[in-house]
Amino acid sequence: MKRSLLALALSVLPALASAGDLTVDHPMVPLAPPGSMAHAAFFTITNTGDTSRSLIGVTAPGYHMAHIHQSEEINGVATMQAMHQVDIAPGQSVTFEHGGLHIMLMHPAAPLAEGAEVPLELKFANGETLFVTATVMRMMHGSS
Amino acid sequence: MRWLAALILALGLATGAPTTGAQAQVQGVELDAPVVLPAFTFSDENAASFTDADLTGQWTLIMFGFLSCPDVCPFTLGNLEAAVAETGMRVRPDNVPRVVFISVDPARDAGFISEYARFFHPDFISVTGARDQIDALVTATDSFYRLMPPDNTGYYEVQHSSAVSVIAPDGTLRAKLQPPFDPGLTAEFLARLQITYRKELSQ
Repeated sequence: MKRSLLALALSVLPALASAGDLTVDHPMVPLAPPGSMAHAAFFTITNTGDTSRSLIGVTAPGYHMAHIHQSEEINGVATMQAMHQVDIAPGQSVTFEHGGLHIMLMHPAAPLAEGAEVPLELKFANGETLFVTATVMRMMHGSS
Repeated sequence: MRWLAALILALGLATGAPTTGAQAQVQGVELDAPVVLPAFTFSDENAASFTDADLTGQWTLIMFGFLSCPDVCPFTLGNLEAAVAETGMRVRPDNVPRVVFISVDPARDAGFISEYARFFHPDFISVTGARDQIDALVTATDSFYRLMPPDNTGYYEVQHSSAVSVIAPDGTLRAKLQPPFDPGLTAEFLARLQITYRKELSQ
């Protein structure tokens, strides 16, 4: 039992990054079509501390640039806007997912295959940097 | 384990919780009257073309987008692939719609447009073209796009309609599909639209 618990813990570890009071779960980059100049990164970030934290920027060494973005659909028009700050209140989780917040990764230095790892550096207002490794995964499209 | 999933599904159906949301979604809107489309020519970097003549004789789904689109465009094409697969279980093989992705951003995309849609299905095509050709089809399908002003690095955003145009085998626009493009519900909408279309033809 102990061994299986350890195995479970180990198998969960790579998908989990944490620094102090912040935890990032399930960081992933959907496998993108060839020719695609922009990739997205998705994850859930949780603040387990008792002070509010603010994500103010991202860098991604494998890309020309990275922005925090928000997709929105307004009157049938798909729009995106850059976000300069995303606040995570104490005890709150913020999910970056399709149709909402995402990390936009522009101009990959090299094509990325399924299973590839994408390092991300999340910058916070207090000067802290959280290192996260996202995995390239094929998105599943099914009926809800 | 399977019985557990079945039980959860049955409970869900009984309370209506997980299904009502999806059922309430409108996946498509049928137009009151068919819209005749103008002549147009698009192509990819290998000079393969897509013109108004290609609309005749089969159902076509047209989506406008751009390749620097990290979230909405790949997600929509992924859902359309699943929706078309589901449609294939409901209609005759020659009535399975062909999906066409048209980039409204030829300046950045024209050089390698062909591979994009094919990633989602070998029969999907992606093309772009001259600004006047894009504008003509965007206007005729009551769609929209806007290239936003570039930032100091030259990077610019593109806004575009999220709806997908449904073109009948007579080349006229018949309906619009809307997000979230739930595959099963979209397939159901398309299959019903085809029945309406055939009834209309036989009258």
